[in-house]
Amino acid sequence: MLTNERRQVGRAMPRIDAPLKVTGRAAYAAEHSEPDMLHGAAVSATIARGRILEIDSRAAKAAFPGIAAIYTHENRPNAAWLDRSWQDETAPPGHTYRPLQNDRVLFDGQPVAFVVADSFENARDAAAMITVRYEVETPETDLTTKLAERYVPPKKRSGISPPPDPRGQPEEAFKEAHFRISGDYLIENEHHNPMELFATTVLYGADGVLAIHDKTQGSQNVQKFVCNVFSLSQDKVNVINAYVGGAFGSGLRPRHQLFFAVMASLDLKRSVKFEIARSDMFYLSYRPAMYQTVSLGADAQGRLTAVLHDTVQVTSRYEDYQEVVVNWSGLAYRCDNVALTYALTKLDAATPGDMRAPGAASGLFALESAMDELSYEVGIDPLELRRRNFVHFDQNENKQLTSKALRACYREGAARFGWERRQAKPRSMHEGHELIGWGMATGIWEAQLQSAKARVRMSANGQVIVQAAASDIGTGTYTILAQIAAEALDVPAEDVSVQIGQSDLPETSVEGGSWTAASSGSAVDAACLAIRQRLLDMAQKDDASPLKDATVEEVVIRDGHLRLDTDPRAGVAISELMARAGETAIEEEGKAGPDAKQMKSFASYTHSAVFVEVRVDEELGLARVTRVVSAVAAGRILNPKTARSQILGGVVMGLGMALHEESMIDHRSGRIMNHNLAEYHVPAHADIQDIDVHFVQEFDDKASPIGVKGLGEIGVCGVAAAVANAIFHATGKRIRHLPITIDKILGETVGKAA
Amino acid sequence: MTSDTGTIRFILNDRSVALDDVGATTTLLDHLRLARRLTGTKEGCAEGDCGACTVLVGRLAGDELVYEGVNACIRFVGSLHATHVVTVEHLAAKDGALHPVQQAMVDYHGSQCGFCTPGFVMSLYGLWLSKDRPGRADIEKALQGNLCRCTGYEPIVRAAEAVAEARPDAVFDPILAMRARVKTELKAMKTGATIAVGEGRRLVVPGTVEALAEVLDSHPQATIVAGSTDVGLWVTKQMREIAPVVFINGLDALQTIEETPEGVTLGAGVSYSAAYPLLSRLYPAFGRLIDRIGGDQVRNMGTIGGNVANGSPIGDTPPALIALGATLTLRSKKGSRSLPLQNFFIQYGRQDRQPGEFVESLFIPALAPDAHFSVYKISKRRDEDISALCGAFHLRLDADGKVKTLSIAFGGMAGTPKRASQTEAAMIGRLWTEETVALGQAALAKDFQPLTDWRASAAYRNLAAANLLTRFYLETRGEGCELTRFEGAA
Ligand SMILES: Cc1cc2nc3c(=O)[nH]c(=O)nc-3n(C[C@@H](O)[C@@H](O)[C@H](O)COP(=O)(O)OP(=O)(O)OC[C@H]3O[C@@H](n4cnc5c(N)ncnc54)[C@H](O)[C@@H]3O)c2cc1C
Ligand code: FES
Ligand code: FES
Repeated sequence: MLTNERRQVGRAMPRIDAPLKVTGRAAYAAEHSEPDMLHGAAVSATIARGRILEIDSRAAKAAFPGIAAIYTHENRPNAAWLDRSWQDETAPPGHTYRPLQNDRVLFDGQPVAFVVADSFENARDAAAMITVRYEVETPETDLTTKLAERYVPPKKRSGISPPPDPRGQPEEAFKEAHFRISGDYLIENEHHNPMELFATTVLYGADGVLAIHDKTQGSQNVQKFVCNVFSLSQDKVNVINAYVGGAFGSGLRPRHQLFFAVMASLDLKRSVKFEIARSDMFYLSYRPAMYQTVSLGADAQGRLTAVLHDTVQVTSRYEDYQEVVVNWSGLAYRCDNVALTYALTKLDAATPGDMRAPGAASGLFALESAMDELSYEVGIDPLELRRRNFVHFDQNENKQLTSKALRACYREGAARFGWERRQAKPRSMHEGHELIGWGMATGIWEAQLQSAKARVRMSANGQVIVQAAASDIGTGTYTILAQIAAEALDVPAEDVSVQIGQSDLPETSVEGGSWTAASSGSAVDAACLAIRQRLLDMAQKDDASPLKDATVEEVVIRDGHLRLDTDPRAGVAISELMARAGETAIEEEGKAGPDAKQMKSFASYTHSAVFVEVRVDEELGLARVTRVVSAVAAGRILNPKTARSQILGGVVMGLGMALHEESMIDHRSGRIMNHNLAEYHVPAHADIQDIDVHFVQEFDDKASPIGVKGLGEIGVCGVAAAVANAIFHATGKRIRHLPITIDKILGETVGKAA
Repeated sequence: MTSDTGTIRFILNDRSVALDDVGATTTLLDHLRLARRLTGTKEGCAEGDCGACTVLVGRLAGDELVYEGVNACIRFVGSLHATHVVTVEHLAAKDGALHPVQQAMVDYHGSQCGFCTPGFVMSLYGLWLSKDRPGRADIEKALQGNLCRCTGYEPIVRAAEAVAEARPDAVFDPILAMRARVKTELKAMKTGATIAVGEGRRLVVPGTVEALAEVLDSHPQATIVAGSTDVGLWVTKQMREIAPVVFINGLDALQTIEETPEGVTLGAGVSYSAAYPLLSRLYPAFGRLIDRIGGDQVRNMGTIGGNVANGSPIGDTPPALIALGATLTLRSKKGSRSLPLQNFFIQYGRQDRQPGEFVESLFIPALAPDAHFSVYKISKRRDEDISALCGAFHLRLDADGKVKTLSIAFGGMAGTPKRASQTEAAMIGRLWTEETVALGQAALAKDFQPLTDWRASAAYRNLAAANLLTRFYLETRGEGCELTRFEGAA
C-alpha cells in the first residue's frame, strides 16, 4: 500500500491534460505532419465474400498525376510470411488477416487497393475512380442460420479462460427444480465508434527510422507488430500514441491503416499519413453477435439449484476470436449444479474484437435477464433474489475472493434509487400516458493486474518526471500517475510531468481490461519506493543521521525531506542528500505484475448493482431511461473525478447497447447498411437523464499493491439487463433481443389503437 | 451579370482570407485541417452527425453581427464569402489563459479522451455569445448536435451550467474584442457582385436574386446549395460530382420573414434557427418539431426551403407544411409561379421544379383560433435522428362538434410526403369521437402501404400511424401525451 494516504491520491483533481484538449492543442495520430508528405486512401470491397477478378486504376492514374503508388494484391511489397509474425499481444488463434494478401474477399469493406498521393484530396478522389470486378460468392452473415455449425475453439485465446467443467448434476437438478425458467437471448453486433477515426502518420526519418503516430491502445504492441511484419529492428521503429481519442478496445489490435501507412512509407521512403473514414471503421471491429440460452432452476425459497448457460458467438472464417461470456454465470451466485458452454460459429465477416467489458457485457445481459425472470416466477423482489443467492467465493475456480462489497452496492444503491417503493407487479406504475418500470441487475468484471514498468526521476529541486509506455485513451492515466508519484514523493501533482504513450519508454502492456491504473500505478508506486530507498541509503552514509537505523518502511518523504514517520522532526533535506552525493536527480524503475502465489488461492473481481427507471410510451413503442443508479465496489478510488466519469461513460454505453446500438446487415449481400453515425445510434445527450454513480467502501489489499481494482469496464456491465428488466416491469413484455428498438416494444400484439 | 469577381473572401480567426482557386466542393473542415493545419477542429464523421468539427461562423444580418455554430465538415468554403470563421484555436487568450467555457470544461471534467472536446467547447461558446443566462433547456439544445462517446455527457452539462450561473468575464473574449473590425470588413466584402470561381463557372456565388435566376437559366444543371446539410453529404458520403455549384446562403433577399394576418411568408434561404421564434409562436407544435431536427449546427445552416426542395419522403417539415396548407413559390428568369405544396411532390425523387427554377418562398396560412394542429415525429433515437415516420394533423370542428376541415399528412409512409386523403374523407362531416377516429384508422390502409426498412417495419409504421391519430384525438380532448424530457424543456 501507499504509505502516505494524505492529499494527492483520492483527490478529485482535474485532468492534467485537459487544458491541451479544450484548446485543440492535443495532437492525435492524424495531426502530425511534415511538408510534402504523402496521403493514403483505401478502396473498400463492396462484397462480403468472393474473389477480385480485376482492378482497373487506369482512369485514376490518368486523372491524378500526383499519385505516388497504387497497391493491390498484385503488387503489394513483401511482408512477413508466418502467422506468428502477424499476431500481436492480443490476437486470437488463427490466420491473421493480411491486407492485400491475395484475391480473396473475406468481409464487407475489406480494403482491396491502397492509393498514395501527394494530397489527401487526390488520394481520396483517385481511390473513388478505381473500379473493381468481383466474382461474388453467397455470403453467410446471419448468426441465427448458423447455430448448428457451432464448434468449440480448439485453441484457446491467451488470457481468456474457457468455461469451467460442469459441476454437480445440472441437467437433473434443473429438471427437479421447484421453479424453472429458460430463455434464449440474442445480441446483434455492436461497434466501438470512438470519436477519433483510426489513423496512422508515419514520419520517415533521414536515417530510415520511423516515427509512427498511431491510434492504438499500446505503443509497444504496435512496435513489435511492425518489427515482426516488416522485419525491422526495434531501434528503427518508434511508436507514439500520446493522445488517443477513445478506443474502448478497438485499438488493442494493430489495424490495417497502420499496415498500409508503414508499408507505403518503407516502399516509397517517404512520410505517409492514412486516416480512415467513419464508414470504414465499421469494418474493423465489433462486439460480436451471440445467441445465448440460460436455464435457471431454484428451490421453493428461490435459491439457485441449477444454472445452465450456453452461448454461440460469431467469429470470422479466419480467426477463433474468444471472450469470457458464460463463466460469469458460474461465479455470480451460489449454485452447486452448473453447466457452462461456449461455442463459435463462422461467418463471412471481419474478426470481432474486444469492446468494453468484452464477454461480460453480453453474458450478463442473458444471466441477469434470466435472474429477473426467475424472480417473477418465484414471486420475490429481484433484488431479494440476488441477495438470497449471494456468494463470497469463486466456485468456478475454487478460490477465495480478494474482496466483494457487492452487498453494500445492493444496499446503498437501492437506498439511493428508492427501490423499496417499487410496486412488484408489472404494468402497475404509470404517470399519465407513460408506463414506468424499475429494473436492476448485478455487474461483475475481473480485476486484473498486468506486468508494467515505470521510471520516476526526482530532481533536487522537487521536479518529478514519470515515464512509462502506458496509454491514456481517455481514461485519465496521465492524471492518476501524476497523483500517485506526487503522493509518494510529497510534491504537488501539478509539479509532476508524466510522459507516456511512446514505445521507447518503460515496458507496459496494452491499455485494456481496466488494468492500467492498477498495473502502471503500482509500478510508479514501486519506483517511488525505490527512490525512497536510494535516499535512505544516501542518508545512512552519514553515521550521525537521525535515520541511521531506520528501514525504508519507517521513513517518508515530506516537504522535500526524508523523515522518520514516527518522528517527523527527525529528517534531512533531499536537496542536501543529493548535493552530498553529487547528484542533481535520482532515477529509479519500478515494476508491477500479477502475483502468482496469490493468484493460486485468490480471485479478484469488481462488482456493481445497477438500478434503472424507464418510461415507456407503449402506443408508439418509445422507451427512455430516466434514472440510473450505479453502485460500484472497485477497491480504492484514486481520483473520484476520473473514476466517476469512467462509470458514467460505461453506463451510457450500456444504455446504447440496450436501446440503440446494432449493425444492420443485409444478409443477402452480407453488407453493413448503417455504417455511419446517422444510422448507427450511439447515445446522444437527450438519451441521458439522471445518472447517479456511487462508490461503496471496499478495502482490498490483495487485488493490487495499491489497492486499486480498475474501473474501465464495470460501468457497462449489467446495464442492458437492468434496462430490459425495467421494460418488462413497465410493460409486462420480456424482450430478449438487443437492442430494444421501437418495433420490438410495440410488437404485433401490443398497441391497440386506443 | 455585372462586375464579376473570382475571389471568395472571409475572415478566419484574426486573419483575412482571399481564395481564388477554391474547389467547388472543398469543405471548410478539409480547408482548416489540411490547408491551414488548424487541427483543433476534428473530424468524427464528415456528415454533420457528431459535432466534432463545430466552428462558429459570423455573418451580417442587417446591421447585426450574428455568430452561429456550424458543422465545418459539410460546410463548403464557397459558402463562406463575407463571413467570420472562428475556430477553437482562436478562443484562449494569447497568454494561454483559457476562456471561461474552456476552464469550466477542465474544472467539471467535461473532457476525457478529448476528441469531441473542441466541438463541445465551440458549441458552448456559441451559447455563451447568444444567451446571457441560459437555462437547462437552452444548454441541452446547444449540445444536441455534439456526440461524446466517453463522458456520458453529464460532466459537460455541469460545465455549461457552471458558466451559466456565474458568468465570469472573459476580458479577452476574441469575438467581442474584434466586433467592430469584423463588421467593417464584412460590410466591405458584401458588394452585391456575383463571384464566379474556376473554369466554366464551377462555383458561383450570385450577388442578387436576379443574378441567381440568370445563372440558373444559363446553367440549368447547376446544383443549388443553401445550407448544404443535404448536399454536403452527397459530396462527403456519396462522392457525388455536383459542380457547377451555386451558393445562395448569402442572398439577403431570400432571408426574409414576413408576418401578416393571413399567414407567414418565409424566404427559401431562411434557416431553421431563424424561422424558429416566429413558427414556434404561431404554430407551437411546429416549433417543437424544429427542436428535433438535427442539432443547432444543422438548424443554423439548414433551411426549410432546402428541406422541401430536397423532396425526401422523410423530410420533417413537409408533412406539417402540407397539413397547414402551405403554398410554394418557384421563380426563374421567366417569372414566378405558386402551387400548393402537396402538389410539388410528384413521386419518389421527382418534384415539380422546372429547369432554371428555384424555390423562392413558402407561404404558411395562419391558424384559425379554433384550429387544432399537431405534428409528431417518431424516431428510434430521440434526438439527431431521421424520422421513422412523422404525422401532422390539422383539424377544425363546426359548432355541432363535427369535423369541418381536416388535413393529415405523413412522412415516412410513402415515396413522398403525402396527404391522407382517404382517411380525411372517412372522417369529415362526422362527430369528432372515438368512433370517427376508428373509421379514420381503418381508412389509413387505403392511403398508405409503407415499406419496411432499417428505421422501422411496415407493421410498426401502420400501427404507429393509427396510434398517432388516436393521440391527436386525445390531445384535442385536452389530454397531454407528448413525451417530455425535462420539466420546462422541449
Ligand atoms: C446531422 C443532420 C441531421 C438532420 N436531421 C434532420 C431531421 O431530423 N429532419 C429532417 O427533415 N432533416 C434533417 N436533416 C436534413 C435537413 O437538414 C435538410 O433537409 C435541410 O432542411 C436542407 O436544407 P439546406 O438548406 O441544408 O439544403 P441543401 O443541402 O443546401 O439543399 C438540399 C436540396 O435542396 C435544393 N435546394 C436548396 N435550396 C433550394 C432553392 N431555394 N431552390 C431550389 N432548390 C433548392 C438543393 O439543390 C438540394 O437538392 C439533417 C441533416 C443533417 C446533416
Ligand atoms: S465531423 Fe462529425 S459533424 Fe462534422
Ligand atoms: S471525451 Fe472522448 S468522445 Fe468525448
